[in-house]
Amino acid sequence: MAEISLKKVVKSYGRTPVVHGIDLEIADNEFVVLVGPSGCGKSTTLRMIAGLEDISDGEIRIRGRLVNDLPPRKRNISMVFQNYALYPHMSVRDNLGFGLKIAGQSRSVVAERVAEAAGILGLSDLLDRLPAELSGGQRQRVAMGRAIVRHPDAFLFDEPLSNLDAKLRGQMRAEIKKLHQKVASTIVYVTHDQIEAMTLADRIVVMRDGHIDQVGTPMEVFNHPVNTFVAAFIGSPPMNQLPAVVDAGRLRLEDGTTIAVPERLRARVRAGQKLILGVRPDDISPEGYGLMEDGESDRVDLLVDIAEPLGMESLIYSRLAGQEVQAKLYGPRLVAPGERLTCRISLSRAHLFDAGTGRNLEAE
Amino acid sequence: MTRALKQRLSAAALWLVTFLLMVIMCIPGLWVVLSAFRPNREILARPPVWVPERLTLNNFAKIFGLGEAQVAIPVGSYFMNSLVIALTSTFVALVIGMAGGYAFARFRFRFKNSLFLSLMLLRTVPAIALSLPLFMLWSRLGIIDTQMGLIIVYIALNVPFTIWLIDGFFRQIPMSLSEAAQVDGCTRWQAFWKIEFPLAKGGIAAAGVFAFLTSWNEYALAAQLTRSTDSKTLPVGLMDFTAQFTIDWAGMSAMAVIIIVPALILTFLVQKHLIRGLTFGGVKG
Amino acid sequence: MLRALRVRQTALAPLILLTPAFTVMLFVVALPLAFSLYTSMTPYRLIRPETLDIFIGTRNYVRLWDNAAFWAAFWRTILFLAIALNAELLLGLGIALLINKLTWGQRTLRTIMMFPMMFSPILVGFQFKFIFNDNIGIVNNALQSLGLTDRAIPWLVDAQLAMFSIIVAEVWMSTSIFAILLLAGLLAMPRDPVEAAKVDGCNSWQVFRHITLPFLMPFIFIAMTIRSLDVARAYDIVHVMTGGGPAGRTELLWTLIARVGYDNARMGEANAMAYVSTLLSIAFTVFFFRKLMAARRYMGGAE
Ligand SMILES: Nc1ncnc2c1ncn2[C@@H]1O[C@H](COP(=O)(O)OP(=O)(O)OP(=O)(O)O)[C@@H](O)[C@H]1O
Ligand SMILES: [Mg+2]
Repeated sequence: MAEISLKKVVKSYGRTPVVHGIDLEIADNEFVVLVGPSGCGKSTTLRMIAGLEDISDGEIRIRGRLVNDLPPRKRNISMVFQNYALYPHMSVRDNLGFGLKIAGQSRSVVAERVAEAAGILGLSDLLDRLPAELSGGQRQRVAMGRAIVRHPDAFLFDEPLSNLDAKLRGQMRAEIKKLHQKVASTIVYVTHDQIEAMTLADRIVVMRDGHIDQVGTPMEVFNHPVNTFVAAFIGSPPMNQLPAVVDAGRLRLEDGTTIAVPERLRARVRAGQKLILGVRPDDISPEGYGLMEDGESDRVDLLVDIAEPLGMESLIYSRLAGQEVQAKLYGPRLVAPGERLTCRISLSRAHLFDAGTGRNLEAE
Repeated sequence: MTRALKQRLSAAALWLVTFLLMVIMCIPGLWVVLSAFRPNREILARPPVWVPERLTLNNFAKIFGLGEAQVAIPVGSYFMNSLVIALTSTFVALVIGMAGGYAFARFRFRFKNSLFLSLMLLRTVPAIALSLPLFMLWSRLGIIDTQMGLIIVYIALNVPFTIWLIDGFFRQIPMSLSEAAQVDGCTRWQAFWKIEFPLAKGGIAAAGVFAFLTSWNEYALAAQLTRSTDSKTLPVGLMDFTAQFTIDWAGMSAMAVIIIVPALILTFLVQKHLIRGLTFGGVKG
Repeated sequence: MLRALRVRQTALAPLILLTPAFTVMLFVVALPLAFSLYTSMTPYRLIRPETLDIFIGTRNYVRLWDNAAFWAAFWRTILFLAIALNAELLLGLGIALLINKLTWGQRTLRTIMMFPMMFSPILVGFQFKFIFNDNIGIVNNALQSLGLTDRAIPWLVDAQLAMFSIIVAEVWMSTSIFAILLLAGLLAMPRDPVEAAKVDGCNSWQVFRHITLPFLMPFIFIAMTIRSLDVARAYDIVHVMTGGGPAGRTELLWTLIARVGYDNARMGEANAMAYVSTLLSIAFTVFFFRKLMAARRYMGGAE
């Protein structure tokens, strides 16, 4: 129940800066997900919000209050750790009630809130077990329960699902989503899994090398990536990126193949400009087998390397102008390696990035 | 014969062989223990008496000055000195070692590795080499032949290794537990006592036993820094059984048992942690 | 202001936590060592206190250079350590491998194995003096009862036999610590590499040589480092068993220091020797500690 604001937040270890002046405003009750490749500074940012790392420069406010110099216990936040950090020598009940007990709550209040949290998370039958006697998913739930009993201003999650197997991860993802609806509160969630980011977030923050590249709703980030990095990072399989030069009003690829410049971008390109054409696999499909067939499009010929039939659709690995290109085929058609496929490329959904800076031409 | 039975038999045979080897290894110690309960006559008998004809507690009675007391050795005060000195120095070394071990395990600071190594190197100074200047200094300070003098020395003797062990135990406990506790509302101090300390308790006890054994068994320094019944410890007291050319083997064996028993009890109490603790600290970076 | 305080606080914490440890070590070890460094540059004799004020520079050290007894003790100490430590390592390794092979009853034997660890070195000395006694010792008694010899073997009187007896005592005292540490290493060892090697057709010796032993190396270095912290406790054993005799033939550096310093009261010279023995111990420890650090780094990936 609180907004969190980061202003020019910097973190250095000794001389090495690892977070370079981050600005971020998180609204009350918002679910914000920090994503980015390993080592980009997500955990560091989260831990600075929690008070577990000193802030080298800048300001962090929670609920308008400057917290730079407050120790974690005075920030009224709770955190779920990657390895759960359950206290091994305490029962589930004591784990859940620990924070309240420290805060000096009466025994009846502790019992009541523990029961409430246990109810929400389905832990009621496990209260007397030790963490060692729980499964991975159950431990994960206890860690979340420990976070919610305290009714904190905000929840911080650091890759809470990365130790679970794929199936459990899916389940727990849904539970976290439900939890957010039930206990309505601000959540900052760190992951390097873009599917988690897409499914959970109100807003996604894409980080790289200690910077924020883009902040936006999942759809904004997916549909309007500000640069090639975000384009490649969000979405699976990743967006195809083809180097191209503007030549006679068309995009000329390295082997001479040309593709029309999307209409909405014509005004923004100059002849001879070096660009990168970005197209998601979903937007390249053999003629008659695509999803988005209306709208503006153009044709290209792909040379098929292999095809992976996935049932209703197939993923096609192919070559175009010496680059590997992935395409999607919707419908019951088999494709053989070595086949030449004429495909439709959806231009209304394609992006152009500057080849030098990697920035999307449409990004302000 | 079934395969399972064969395996069971060979396992049993292996156990028996190992057991016998261990027993053979223990014989020198056991022999002394046995001698503590045999009359001197039997120990000195020629030809040797292999199977004890009777066991007796006379040797113990004798060294405590009971019964027909020939040698009056103040075993009681030696024992008390040893106990006070070993317990006090162990306790203080543990407190200091816990602080230091926690610092090495939980903080990053400059010269960390060099500081750690220099602590260990200060420990390697041979006791006899150290005893020379300590003897001179302690005389000047007037704490020679006092329990206090020896306690201080034994604290220093135990601090480095205690830090080595406790550093290892704390490093086994994920940092995130203390962090979780701090987010849950604890100060770092509270987080230490409520979370990290209870988890490291077994290991800290093991470190304590090591420190106790070192103090309890030390001779070279005690021999130079103590003189009278005010501060002489059991290992130094052992020397009382030697005369110019003879040694009272029966009395000495009895005293040996008195020295061994407390050590034995303590070690067995914490042996599980002992094994884990010794290695963990060293291997995990 | 507040921020500065907080930052300083986290930087200060290790300093505060380590202060007691270093204070004690400086007061009890470093300061006396500095004092003994000075003393080693005087002709100090206990019975003539005024000699402490005469500064003679490195003369004691120069004299050591020509002191045959000192060098004999020095090399004997090195030889003693080389033999004893290797024997302890090999025996300890053997015991650890045996116990590790047991499928049940391991705990009991592990406990029995730790028995010698609890013995005071001085006690070990007496114990083996008793055992190797030529008249009433169990060794001679046994040999005679079995008819292997009819005379009393002078274990502690003959120079070579005395050295042998001392090494036996030292090895008895310290083998368990090696066995325990190596056993802990074996217990911590993952099974997969061993099984993979077996599938690849290695025989048991090859498995040991190429899989088990490399994995154990860090544990061997830990054991060596821990032992090297404390090698000088062999002094107690020698002091009791032979006192350096017969005729100085089992004299180690440490017993020599005690004799020169306390029996002959030549503190200056003894301190000079003590310094050499200290440097020897330090060299030992640094050597193994370095190896341990290197092994640790290379183990890092395996966890
Ligand atoms: N204590 C430290 N000292 C020095 N550098 C550190 C320290 N902790 C982290 N770093 C560096 O800071 C950078 C950011 O680390 P951080 O843990 O925030 O990454 P992350 O985005 O959470 O990555 P991951 O997905 O792997 O968890 C990394 O390059 C890391 O090497
Ligand atoms: Mg991280």
